[in-house]
Amino acid sequence: MKRLMFVFLAVLLVAGAAFAGGQQDSGMEKVTIGALIRNTDEQFVADYADVLKKLAAEKGVDLKLQDSRGDMALQLDQLNTLLAQGVKYYVVVSNTTEATADIASKINAQGGGAAFSNIQPSVEALKVSPNFYLASSPESVAGQIQAQILDEYFKANPEKLANGDPDAIDAIFIYGQLGHPAQVYRTNAVQQGLKDAGYKLNIVAEDTANWKPDEAQAKMDAWLAAFSGEFDVVIANNDGMALGAVESLLTAGYVDDPNDPSKDVDGDGTVLKVPVLGVDATQVAVKSMDEGKLFATVLQDAVGQATTAFELAYMMATEGSATGKMAWGLSPLSSPIDEAPANDAAVVGQCYLVPFKAVTLDNYKDFMN
Amino acid sequence: MKQLTRKSIGEFASKNTGYVTFAAMVVILGVLTGGGSLRLLSWQNLAIAEAVRALAALGVGIIIITKGIDLSLGQVVGLCACVSASLAQTPDYVSSLYPGLNLPVIAPILAGVGVGALFGLLNGFLVAYGKLPPFIATLGTMTIAAGLQLIYTHASTVGSLKNEYKVIAQGFLGPIPNMVIYVAIAVLFLWVLMNHTKIGKRIYAIGGNPTAARVSGISVKFETMKVYLMAGVLYGIAGVLLSSRLGLANALTGDNMELDAIAAATVGGVSHSGGVGKVGGIVVGVLTLGLINFGMTYLGVDSYYQLLVKGFIIIAAVYLDMRRAA
Repeated sequence: MKRLMFVFLAVLLVAGAAFAGGQQDSGMEKVTIGALIRNTDEQFVADYADVLKKLAAEKGVDLKLQDSRGDMALQLDQLNTLLAQGVKYYVVVSNTTEATADIASKINAQGGGAAFSNIQPSVEALKVSPNFYLASSPESVAGQIQAQILDEYFKANPEKLANGDPDAIDAIFIYGQLGHPAQVYRTNAVQQGLKDAGYKLNIVAEDTANWKPDEAQAKMDAWLAAFSGEFDVVIANNDGMALGAVESLLTAGYVDDPNDPSKDVDGDGTVLKVPVLGVDATQVAVKSMDEGKLFATVLQDAVGQATTAFELAYMMATEGSATGKMAWGLSPLSSPIDEAPANDAAVVGQCYLVPFKAVTLDNYKDFMN
Repeated sequence: MKQLTRKSIGEFASKNTGYVTFAAMVVILGVLTGGGSLRLLSWQNLAIAEAVRALAALGVGIIIITKGIDLSLGQVVGLCACVSASLAQTPDYVSSLYPGLNLPVIAPILAGVGVGALFGLLNGFLVAYGKLPPFIATLGTMTIAAGLQLIYTHASTVGSLKNEYKVIAQGFLGPIPNMVIYVAIAVLFLWVLMNHTKIGKRIYAIGGNPTAARVSGISVKFETMKVYLMAGVLYGIAGVLLSSRLGLANALTGDNMELDAIAAATVGGVSHSGGVGKVGGIVVGVLTLGLINFGMTYLGVDSYYQLLVKGFIIIAAVYLDMRRAA
C-alpha cells in the first residue's frame, strides 16, 4: 500500500514538476508569439525552430513553441490551446497547405495574424485578412534547382548519359515519407524540371526511405545489385538519404577508381561513378561535398525563413500591422509568380519569398561552418 | 456513519486510481494555470481534441480485453478518413479526387464506416479463424491500410471539404461540441453492451479464460470476430469525424494513433493479460493523457519533455495497475 501511494505521488511530482518547469515568467507587457511547428525531426524544421528561439531571446519575446510531430490534429489542438490563452500572433509551419485556411480563420477570429513558412499557405488562407503572410521558399523550387544542377552537369559531361538508355536520364529516386508535402513537391518539380530542360526521363528505380540515411543505404544496396551500370544519377529528397546512398555506392566500390576511391578520375566533380543529389545543405552534406562524394545539394534557408516570419509576427504584435514593411531585408512581392499562393494578384503583397540556393562545387565552401 | 480512515481512503484510491489521478491532475493544472485551464473553452477544446482518440481507444480497449491487440488502428482510421473525405469534397474544387462529385453527406459517412468495418472483419477473421497472433495479423493489415491510403489519395491531401460535412464534427449543440455527443453515445452503447448483455459477459470470459469460455459453450471464434468488427466500426466513425474536424485527410492522417489509443486504454486500467477493463476507465485514460497534452501545451512545456512525461505516466499507470491486480 505504501509503495502504491509512493508511485502515485511520483507520477504527480513528475507531472507537476514538468508543468511548473514549463511555466514562463509573465513579465509586464511582454510580447507573446506562438510558434506552431510541424515536426522538428526534420533537420530544416529543427533549424527553423532554433532560429526562432534565438530571435525570441534577443528581443525578449515570450515564444510559445509547439511541435506537432507531423500530426495535423495535434497542431490544431495546440492552436486552440494557445488561442484560449489569448496568444494572437503566430509563426506557422503547418502540416499541410489545405489546413492553412482553417488555421488563419481561427487566428483571425481572435483578431490576430500569422506568417507561414516552409509549407505554403493556400491563397484562401492569405485572403482571410491582410495580417496573414507567406514567408517561405516554395518546396518545388528545391526540385527545380536540382534539375538545373543536373542540366549543367549533363551538358558539361554528356558522356555520363551513356548508362542504360543513352538518350535519356536514367535516374534512381529516393523519396522522403510518401505523401509528405516536401516529398511530393520536390519530386514533381525535379522530374518536371528535367523534362522542361528537354531530357527524356527514365526512372530506373524509385522508393521511399522515409528521410532516413540507413533506409536509403539499404535500398541503394539492393538497387546496386539489380541495376549496376544502368543509371546516370541518384536523386534524393533530402541530404540524409543522399548520404545513405553515397555510403552504399562507396562501400560497393561504385567509384571512378576502385583502387583509390578518393580520386575523381573523370573530373566530373565526384569520386563516384554517378552524381548523387540531396536537399537541405546540412553540415554533414557540405562536408561530404568537400570530400568529393556528394555532388550537390540545395539550401533551404532556415535562417531566412524563420527570421522573415518572426519579424512579420513581431511587427504585428508591436506595431499593429506589418503590411508593406520589409522583413529580413525582403520586400513583399510586387507582381505574381507562377506558384501558389504568390500567383494571386490579390495577395502578392502578403508574400515574402526567401530564395533557395544551389549548393554546388563552385560555392559549397560558403556554407561550411 | 462510516469512518473516513486513512485505510479507506487508500482503498478508494487504489480501486479507482484512474479517477483519482485524473482528479488530481485537474486540480494541479487548475492551480498552475491560475484557473485558466478550468474555463469552459479549455474543456471544450480538450473534449474536441480527445473525441477521436476516445472512439479509437474504446475500439482497441475491447480488443485488449479479449487479450488481443490491434496495431492497424491508426492506419485504418486514416484510410477511413481519406475515403470519407474524398466523397465530401466541394464539387467545384479543381484538385478534387472525383471532380464534380456531389453526394449527400450520408454517403461519405457510410463509406468511411464501411471501410472500417471491412478492416474489422479482416482483422477478426485473421485472428479468430486464421489463428494468427493478433500482433502479427494487425501488423499486416496496418501495412496494407497504409499502402491503400497512399494509393487511394495518390499521396496528396484530400482537402476542400464541404461545410455541411465539416459541421458534423465542428458543430456545437449549445455549449456542447457535437463530438462529445457522438462519444457519449458510443460510451453508453458499449457500457450497456459490456455490463448488461450476454455479449459483454462472453467478451470478458474470452479474455479472462478462453478455455473455460469454450468449454462453457461460447463460440470464441465468432465472438472474437464480433469484437474486431465493432472496433472496426468505431475506427470508421473516428476516421469520418477526424476528417470532418480537420477539413482534410491525407496519407499521414491517423499515423501513430494506435500508440496513443493503446496507451490511453492501458492507463485507463485495461489489462493486457485479458479479461479486465472498464468502458469508463478507458474514457478516463483518454482524458488523462489528453489533459497532460493540453496542460503542457498551455503551460508552454517544451514538446520534447512532453513525450518524456507521457512515457513516465504510462509506465506508472501500468505499474499501479499491476500492483492492484497482484
